[in-house]
Amino acid sequence: MSASADTEVPAGATANAAQLNSFRHYRHLTLELAISQFKLRYTQSVLGYLWSLLKPAMIFGIIYVIFVVLFDVKDGTQFYGIQLLLGIVTWTFFAECTALSMQAIAANGGLIRKAYFPRSILVIAASLTSLFTFVINLCLVIVIAIALHQIDIGVRIVAVIPLLLELYLLALGISFFLGSLFVQYRDVGHLWEVLMQLLFYGSGVMFSLSYVLQRLHLARGVGVTKNLSPRDVWIAWLVVCNPIMQIVEDLRHALVTPQAPWTETIVTGHLAAVHQYAALDVPWLLPMPFLVVVLILAAGAFTFRARARNFAETL
Amino acid sequence: MSADPHRAIHVEHLSKRFRIPLDRSATLKHRVTHWRNATRFRIMEALRDISFDVSAGEFIGIIGHNGSGKSTLLKILSRIYRPDGGVVAIEGKVSPFLELGVGFNPELTARENIFLSGAILGLGRAELHRLFDEIIGFAELEQFVDHKLKNFSSGMEVRLAFSLAIQAHAEILMMDEVLAVGDASFQQKCFDIFARYKREGRTVVLVTHELGAVTTYCDRALLLDHGRLVADGATADVTAQYRRAIGLAADGSLTTTEVERWGSRDVVVTGVRMLDSRGVVDLNPATASFVRVEIGYGIQHDAIADFVCLIWLIRDDGLMVSEASLPVSQYAQVGESQRGSGGTIRFDIPQLPLLDGAYSVDLEIQGRRDGAIYDHLKHAIHFRVIDKRARRGVVEPGGVWSVVAGEQPPDTWQDPLG
Repeated sequence: MSASADTEVPAGATANAAQLNSFRHYRHLTLELAISQFKLRYTQSVLGYLWSLLKPAMIFGIIYVIFVVLFDVKDGTQFYGIQLLLGIVTWTFFAECTALSMQAIAANGGLIRKAYFPRSILVIAASLTSLFTFVINLCLVIVIAIALHQIDIGVRIVAVIPLLLELYLLALGISFFLGSLFVQYRDVGHLWEVLMQLLFYGSGVMFSLSYVLQRLHLARGVGVTKNLSPRDVWIAWLVVCNPIMQIVEDLRHALVTPQAPWTETIVTGHLAAVHQYAALDVPWLLPMPFLVVVLILAAGAFTFRARARNFAETL
Repeated sequence: MSADPHRAIHVEHLSKRFRIPLDRSATLKHRVTHWRNATRFRIMEALRDISFDVSAGEFIGIIGHNGSGKSTLLKILSRIYRPDGGVVAIEGKVSPFLELGVGFNPELTARENIFLSGAILGLGRAELHRLFDEIIGFAELEQFVDHKLKNFSSGMEVRLAFSLAIQAHAEILMMDEVLAVGDASFQQKCFDIFARYKREGRTVVLVTHELGAVTTYCDRALLLDHGRLVADGATADVTAQYRRAIGLAADGSLTTTEVERWGSRDVVVTGVRMLDSRGVVDLNPATASFVRVEIGYGIQHDAIADFVCLIWLIRDDGLMVSEASLPVSQYAQVGESQRGSGGTIRFDIPQLPLLDGAYSVDLEIQGRRDGAIYDHLKHAIHFRVIDKRARRGVVEPGGVWSVVAGEQPPDTWQDPLG
């Protein structure tokens, strides 16, 4: 007795046409869901879309006042303000996208029990909604940066597209993973909130990567002769492998400060200086962030696929 | 598999089990703190070894009591649930929705909802643009295109859902309990849509409690009982079997899930059942037949001397049809009653005066002096009256006709017209 429940489709060209047709249909449905969610999110409050601007702006204000005005901490890089703003807008997207997409399945129980379509559509639609907001906000940051003459537009700007794609895929992978768990275990939401706090501080949103490495006595010039404890090596690895750190850093390089090196230069260049610590001076550290993104996306898609068949029954 | 060109649905040895967790493990915390004990499940066999075929153009009804697995079967046919065993093969485009208005969002306007819900129904954007005027026109909502759905009356919302649903060009339609919700106009719309599908020769699978709809529209019916297919055949035969089955299955024992109950429990209702003239449990009494409601009671408190039993007949829309009460203590020697004693109260209706409809019985035992509620049971019995002559209306007044030929009314008779 086979356990297949697949629709029988005539073989050959018709099958391809049917698949193409359903692909078109599902793409249409995804966009339609994303657009209505976008509308819903911003038409239900007086300030509407302004909220999505005010939130990062307020976080920026708080951090700027505390660190720069009150404690006079600067990471020594050029245009700290605009770099911070860019980091916060990027982070806000990541945080919002994962938090909202995680709930996409659980929040649409009615739809899932009443209609058939690939369940991943709900997660993708929710993440696209956040992506729309992010792209608009990013454009506004660029406009502000131009107004303040704090931007250096060059060919490097092309790198923004693959960087955004990398960030989106990372957020999507996490959303798939958390979203499929959230259906059954609602406290995943709380756990993720706490984890995000940790990630926020570990992702170089407030400081540039070179500053963090300096503080960790890992970069050239500061305490390199000191013996690195295994703990320092582990922390360095974690920081260097964090894709959000890499994305934020490279976005800054691509948009604001060409003087700031690409992450690879920071990692390979600076760490190479620590030649007696071969642990960090390895070429395979370079693709690590990308590898992490691919792994998270694969794990998320796999978990989601395995659990999706039970969503209708669990909800 | 056979290659019948007219076959739309082929189901063979289908089975479905649900795993119902015995302990609450809705949190990760619980999962972690109880990591040593694997979550225990109760296996519920929702469907067992179901096999049937549906030909293209057939209008088929699936009936059965609550929990018989009929909705589960429909959800498997529409790919919402996955089967655990067996084969399900469907030839043709299946509607992806089970209800009218799926995906409607009250915060969106009619226009936005058409595009959103239309996308779920499988309509393309260009197609929706082309059909937009027709959909709005058919729903008679031209003036409300940009109003939010939450400001619509239920009738308007239904018209919109309906005119959208008829545009879905699926060859096979799955419909679940569409008649269970909504007002009369909604139900009428549903009947219209069925008639239309039937005319168009589409394959329809309808799951409903409404035997009337099944009888009217379905060529064939399937009867499910505890996950098994117990009957498959002509609608009239299967519905008759269902009527017999639900009468017999209800043994009168109280099911706590469906009964709302409150009271001090000084005197409790220990059981309630509805019998016919032969003393057999029957929850589908015919109009004008003999009906007996039997109520078992038990006294739980020593000081109870005097109590009254009340019984209400309630129509499914909440209308109280009748109220009757009996001072029980005047009939039974309960004056010296003690904890643990009890008895049976009977309420006989010699000729049930109700016509077709769904009703329930509410019961209460209360103290005679202070009116304290000892035990109140809302919807203690659900029953359905079947009028074999299918007369319209609510009550059968037991009126007697007679005609006296050749005799004119006397002059003193008031002329109603003048």
